[in-house]
Amino acid sequence: MKTCNFVLSGLGGQGILFMTKILAQTALNKGYNILGAETHGMAQRGGSVVSHLKIGDAGSSLIRAGAGDFLISMDAAEAYRFLPWVRPGGMVFVNGSNDRFPDERVTPFLAEHHITCFAMEAGKTALELGAPRSTNLAMVAFFSAFGQGPLEAEALRTTVEAASPDSVKQINLKIFDVCHDEGRKLC
Amino acid sequence: MKQAFLLGNGAMALGLLEAGCQVLTSYPGTPSSEILPETVRFSKAADLNTVIEWSVNEKVAFDNAFAAAISGKRAACCMKMVGLNVAADSFMSAAYIGNIGGFVVISCDDPGPHSSQTEQDSRFMARIAKVPVLDPASPQEARAMIKAAFDISEEFQVPVLVRPAIRICHARQNISYEELKSNLTPAVFTREPTRWASTPKFRFLQHKALNEKHVKIAEKFNTLVPYNRHTIQPEQTFALGIVVGGVPSAVVEDLFAEFNRDDIPMLKLGAPYPFPENLANQFMDACDRVLVIEETDTVIEYMLRDRHKTWGRLTGHVPMEGELVPEKILALVNQALSESGLPPLSTTDTATQAFALTASLDLPIRKPTLCPGCPHRASFYAIRKAVPKAIYPSDIGCYTLGSNLGGVDTVLDMGAGITMASGFWHAFQQDGKAKPIIATMGDSTFFHSGTTGLINAVYNDARFVLVILDNGITAMTGMQPAITQGARVDGRKGNAIALETIVKGCGVDYLQVVDPYDVDHTIAEIKKAHEWALSPEGGIAVIISRHPCVIGLRDQALPQIFEVEITDECDDCGLCHLRFECPAMVRNPDKKKTEINPVLCSGCGVCLNICPKNAVQTVS
Repeated sequence: MKTCNFVLSGLGGQGILFMTKILAQTALNKGYNILGAETHGMAQRGGSVVSHLKIGDAGSSLIRAGAGDFLISMDAAEAYRFLPWVRPGGMVFVNGSNDRFPDERVTPFLAEHHITCFAMEAGKTALELGAPRSTNLAMVAFFSAFGQGPLEAEALRTTVEAASPDSVKQINLKIFDVCHDEGRKLC
Repeated sequence: MKQAFLLGNGAMALGLLEAGCQVLTSYPGTPSSEILPETVRFSKAADLNTVIEWSVNEKVAFDNAFAAAISGKRAACCMKMVGLNVAADSFMSAAYIGNIGGFVVISCDDPGPHSSQTEQDSRFMARIAKVPVLDPASPQEARAMIKAAFDISEEFQVPVLVRPAIRICHARQNISYEELKSNLTPAVFTREPTRWASTPKFRFLQHKALNEKHVKIAEKFNTLVPYNRHTIQPEQTFALGIVVGGVPSAVVEDLFAEFNRDDIPMLKLGAPYPFPENLANQFMDACDRVLVIEETDTVIEYMLRDRHKTWGRLTGHVPMEGELVPEKILALVNQALSESGLPPLSTTDTATQAFALTASLDLPIRKPTLCPGCPHRASFYAIRKAVPKAIYPSDIGCYTLGSNLGGVDTVLDMGAGITMASGFWHAFQQDGKAKPIIATMGDSTFFHSGTTGLINAVYNDARFVLVILDNGITAMTGMQPAITQGARVDGRKGNAIALETIVKGCGVDYLQVVDPYDVDHTIAEIKKAHEWALSPEGGIAVIISRHPCVIGLRDQALPQIFEVEITDECDDCGLCHLRFECPAMVRNPDKKKTEINPVLCSGCGVCLNICPKNAVQTVS
C-alpha cells in the first residue's frame, strides 16, 4: 500500500513534534498504522527541525526526498529548505505571507513539477487570538481546509480538542476554526 | 491489548520488560536517552518491581547490570555508541566470562552524525569483543529482537549486543502490547572464582569456550528467520543481489514495494555476527554480483568472502561516511542495477534538481545555539571577558555550543575538558610558558569522567581554571536528574552529592561558587582564580558556576522576569546577537539596530550587563 507522507518543518521550539502528534493521533483514531522520524538532541537546540510522518504501512521511517505528499512549514525559509522532499504534484503549506511566498526563484520549479503552494500568516493569527504558541495547530487547521489526504478537518479538530490542556482548549479551537476558514477561502 | 504511539526507544523499553528484564542501567546520550525513562513509565504503569537506574557513566552502568546477570537475573544496560567506548573494558572482559541470566547491551548508533562526535559502527565493537550482535530495521523489530537477544544470551551464556541506529530510536510507531508481568527470578550468586575472577590461565580457556560458542551461534544465525533470511530458491541465478542490514534493509524493502520490483533478491542480515556463513554462501552462489548496503561501516562487507563479487563501500558504490538516507539508497541501488544491465527502480529524480535550487537560495544557516536565558551563555561571556587570550578546553553537553561564543576551543570526549587542560599546561610549560587555560565542564560530565582527570591534574601540578557549569540537570539529553539533586529516575529519593565535596576531595584548594547571572561578579571571580592559578603558590582553581537550567528548571532559573527593550543608544555593533549570541536579540536591518523578540526572550536580564552602549534597559 502506498503511504501518505507528511514532512513538517520549522525551528526548534515551534512545536513541530506536537504538530506531528496531532496528525499521528488522528491517523491512529482512524485505524491507520503510522511511522515517523523525529529530530532530537543537539540538532533540536535552535536549529532547523524536521519531522517525517508516514500514514499507512511502511517499514522505514524517513521519507525519501521527492516522495513527500505534503510539506507543512512553520517558517518560509524552512519550507524552501525542505522543498526537495515534495513529490511532483505535492502540496506545500507555509506560515507566511501570500504576497511573499513562494519566491520567484522557485516558481518555475514548482510549475514544472505541478507543486502547489498555499501560505497563511498563521503565526500572526494565533498571536492576535492570544496564543502565539498555538501556531502549529493553526497550520494544521489551515492544511485541513483543503480536504487533502486521509485526515479530515473534523477528525483533526477532535484531536486538537482532546490534546489541548483545559486552559487553552477554547482558544485553540477558536484558532483552529479561524485558520480553517482562512484556508477555505483559498480552495 | 493496549495501543501506544511510541518512540523506537519506547518500543525497546517495552521489549525489555516483555522479555522479563529485571535490572536496567544506563547513562543518557542521544539517541539512546529515552529507553530508560520509557522503561520506568511502563514498569510503573504495570506495577513491576524492575530495578532501573541512571548510572554515573556507561562503564558503571554496564558493571551494575552485569553483576545482576551473573546472579541469574535478566539484566540490560543501554547507552549511545560512544558510551560503549567508555564501557569497552567491561564489554570485552564480560564476553569471556559470560553470564547466567540473559544480559543484553543496547548501543545506539548515530549515522550522520546528528548528535555525536563520531559515526562509529557498534557492530565492529561487537566483533572486537566477540559478542553476538543484532541490528534492527524498525522499532517493532527492535522490540522483538530484544526478546531474542535475551534468549540467545541465556542459551549460550554470553552477552548480546543490540545495535539500533538513530532512525530506530527516534522513529515513532504505533505499537500494541499485552499486560506486562514481573519476572521474579531470585538473585543467586554461586562462588566460582575460576570463572568470575579468572586469572590469565583460565582466561585462555574462557576464550576457547567463547570461540566454540561462536560456531554454534553462527549455526543458529544461519536460520534465524525473520532476522536473517533471503528469498532465493535453489537453482535460481541473478545478475545482482542486495545484502542489507539494519535500517537500510527496511528502506530497500520499502523501495522494492513502492516500485513494484520483485526481481531483485535480498539477503537480510539482522544478526550479522557471528557471521551466518552458509546462508550468505547460498546467496552469493546464486548472484553474479552483490551490493552491500549497511550502516555505517563495512562489517558485512568485510565478512563476505568473495571480494570479486562484492560491491559496497570498498568499491566506491556506497558512500564511506554519512547516513544512508532513502534518496541516497535509491540512487546507489539504481547505479548498481544499471551497472548490472538491469532497469533502475526509477528514472525520474526531482530531488537532485530541488537540492541544487535550494542551495542557490542562500537560506539562513541555522546552527544549534544555547537557549535564550541559558546560564551557560552568561558563563562563557564572563570567561571570555575575564581571560580573553586563553585556551578554552571544553567538553560534551549543551555547553559545547559555547563554541558560538568563542569559549570552546577543544572537544574530544567526555572528561577531556580537564585532561586536555592539564595536557596543554604541561606542553607549554615545557617551553617555559605559563599558558592561560580556562577549562569548562558540565556537572553531569564532571561526575561521568571529570574526577580522575582532576585528581591527575592536581597530582601532576598543572595550573588552570576549571569552571564547572552546574545547571542542576543533564540538559542536552532531555533533562535527566542530576546527582547533585539526589533525585532518581523513578522518583525515589537518592543521596545528593555536592560538587564542592568532590572537588575538594580531588585535592583542589581553591574553590569559589558564583551565579553566572551576576555577570560582573563572575568575571571578577574568574580573573581572581586565574591570577591565583598562575601565582607561585597556585594550582588548579575551580569555579562552580551555578544556575538552574532555564528549560528543565524554569521556575528556579527565572525567579525574576526582566522585560527588556533596546533604546536608541544602540549603535548596531552586533555584540549582543553575534558574540553574546542570544537568539532573542535580533538585528532589524531596516532600522539598523537590535530588537528583542518577545516570543523568544526568557526575561533572564543577563543582557542588561553586556551592552557596551548600555542600550539594553528594562521596560519602565
